[in-house]
Amino acid sequence: MRTHFDVFGLPRSHAVDVPALEKQYRDLSLQLHPDRVAQGNARERLQALEGTTALNEAFKTLKDPVRRAFYLLKLHGIDLDREDAGAQKDMPLEFLEEVMTLREELDDAIAAKDLPRAQAMAKDVAGRKQAALTEAVSALQSLEAAGDSPDGVRKASHALGRVRYFTRFLEQVDAFEEEVLA
Amino acid sequence: MSNNGLLQIHDPLKPKGHVVGIDLGTTHSLVASVSQGKPRCVPVDDGDSLLLPSVVHYGRDGGVVVGARARKLAADAPTDTIVSVKRFMGRGPDDPETRKLGAYRFVPGSQVVRFDVAGGQPVTPIEVSGEILRALKRRAEAHFSGKVEQAVITVPAYFDDAQRQATRDAGKLAGLEVLRLLNEPTAAALAYGLDKGSQGTFAVYDLGGGTFDISILKLEDGVFEVKSTGGDSALGGDDFDRAIATRVLQAMGAATPSPSQVAEAMSAARKAKEALTDVAEVTLTVGGHSQPVTRADFEAWIQPLVQKTGAVCRRALKDAGVAAGELDGVILVGGSTRVPAVRHFVAELFGREPLGDIDPDQVVALGAAVQASLLTDSNRQDEVLLLDVLPLSLGLETMGGIAEKLIPRNSTIPTAAAQVFTTFKDHQTGLDVHVVQGERELVEDNRSLARFTLSGIPPLAAGMARVEVRFQVDADGILSVTAKEQSTGAAQTITVKPSHGLTDEEIEKMLLDSIDYAEDDIQARQVREQQVEAERVLAEADRQLRENAALLEAGEPEAIQAAMARVREAAQGKNYLAVKEALHGLDEASRAFIERVMNRAITQVVSGHSVEEY
Repeated sequence: MRTHFDVFGLPRSHAVDVPALEKQYRDLSLQLHPDRVAQGNARERLQALEGTTALNEAFKTLKDPVRRAFYLLKLHGIDLDREDAGAQKDMPLEFLEEVMTLREELDDAIAAKDLPRAQAMAKDVAGRKQAALTEAVSALQSLEAAGDSPDGVRKASHALGRVRYFTRFLEQVDAFEEEVLA
Repeated sequence: MSNNGLLQIHDPLKPKGHVVGIDLGTTHSLVASVSQGKPRCVPVDDGDSLLLPSVVHYGRDGGVVVGARARKLAADAPTDTIVSVKRFMGRGPDDPETRKLGAYRFVPGSQVVRFDVAGGQPVTPIEVSGEILRALKRRAEAHFSGKVEQAVITVPAYFDDAQRQATRDAGKLAGLEVLRLLNEPTAAALAYGLDKGSQGTFAVYDLGGGTFDISILKLEDGVFEVKSTGGDSALGGDDFDRAIATRVLQAMGAATPSPSQVAEAMSAARKAKEALTDVAEVTLTVGGHSQPVTRADFEAWIQPLVQKTGAVCRRALKDAGVAAGELDGVILVGGSTRVPAVRHFVAELFGREPLGDIDPDQVVALGAAVQASLLTDSNRQDEVLLLDVLPLSLGLETMGGIAEKLIPRNSTIPTAAAQVFTTFKDHQTGLDVHVVQGERELVEDNRSLARFTLSGIPPLAAGMARVEVRFQVDADGILSVTAKEQSTGAAQTITVKPSHGLTDEEIEKMLLDSIDYAEDDIQARQVREQQVEAERVLAEADRQLRENAALLEAGEPEAIQAAMARVREAAQGKNYLAVKEALHGLDEASRAFIERVMNRAITQVVSGHSVEEY
């Protein structure tokens, strides 16, 4: 299977030089985009559509460190975006406690329309998210260096499970913020 | 994909005439073309005006008048004169936008808006827009003394799928090949000559007659990347007019004004708004009543409308990950940005004076002409490339009426996403799919784009059949859907037709009914067209058989040859429908073969990967 890394001719690694990736994305877009073959035949136009669609997807995934980490985990066989992913069920107990505490606190803040409190929580959670991502990236890097191991994959998967939860939490604060400001 | 048969492979050598850029606006429309490297607008109305008022009058004698002359008829024949038709594009009869203060008579009991006008059949917004486009095309042709067949047409960035399809259909009705639907703010940025040499991040604030758009764009290495876009497809200068007209009608004591009072008040309000740009007070006269309006009154009335644009701008900046202070420039587009209160608001919002050296009325058409030239002139292709985004998230209805987002807003297009559905009952052979567009949680708060049923699923135990539905958004921001049953591989292409749009058959019928065709000898023209088409398709089929013989399967050469013979035979006669049918037969007979040819071609170019993988 052709991976997003293959699209850019990059090795399968979390270490991506984003400015270089952006530059390459623009160059590839200039070559592949449907606008280049607006007067071409159906085959050329379909090719351009498929090629650019794949390019856009690859770029979106690789430019963002969080998406990139999730994608690498997927290449290791665990797709956290799939609702039926077994990996979500075996999250450690302390994480579930963390989730419940945060959930209650945020619900309280939203019920009280207390935006500053929600924003303070968001700041704290953003920090936790960054820490979890760093943990995930180092787990993924040891997988790159030492090859697939169930233990390493589990480590990355747990860390990214937390990243995912924190991301959703931050989105909820955003939505609350928009609601209050509107 | 539905359009990968032989019939769609078109001939690059066919002469195309002039290519133009068209700004199909709410209040007025323009057409521009690039000559000697510079875009220029073409005179399209009385007195060599570059602006064609987007007003269409339907006369009792069946005649159609477009432009300034139609606008003069609005007060006397308010229900037969359609103004601001753009507001109705892709919308249903019950849409709140459709029901705003206006003078029209609608034909009841239809999914599609139909205006009841003089002179015959009711007309849809697509047909009304088609009349405007046809008028632009004709006047441009008169100006160039030559054919105009291809166009880039601009749409508000915030137009949804239904509104885009409606615009493309209107182009088709006017006899134009729509090369591209281009977002208005992006067009404006192009017109500012932000070319290969320049770079930076820009905001385009576009307040037109009926729509508001904001886009944040980044230009680097000749690539224009739209970072985010936002807007309100139901907010514009018309609302300013309406704010004035409503107050004036109230002051007159007209609680339930007649259609002609409304039309007169709207027209007086528009003039008052324009005058208030330069003077501090004006007096409106409606139905013999005089009513003074000061600029301060006007600014107070429109303040809530202007404020609404601010929230949208802040969200667009946030989506783009850019602070207002990081921008390299702010571009103003749309006649409504002439209103001083709007200019002040924008300057304050972004903390800098906006650029405005190109006429805000012309800037979009000029940019569209530049894009038309970039798309068709092979010498210019390396200059600039536009990467646009999907303005509103695409999603599906899930359990409990929740909209699940499949492709988030501001995704760079073209883009695609797939979703696997499983059956929930034993032996279930059909699945209902409801596609929606918008940002809200609940399905009912978003635009309903289409509903369809996936049929022909093999009857298996619940949860065993897996249907993958793939959504592809093309470079125009228009959606197509394909479905594939994973256990059997049975594929199905669904043409997503918006709930409030027209079917292909209706469009085709309108095309045949349209004036351009009536002027010619329809039958002769159609026969000639089909004969040319037959010749071309036969040549292409010959070439494919010769060059890709290795991809033919047993029995295919015979079947394709037989279908080709039928085309040749039909092309000798005078019955264009027979030729068309034979061509379809050939298309069917060769479809599987052509698909293999194309798959291989793509595989070769995209280095060793088949279409299925994407």
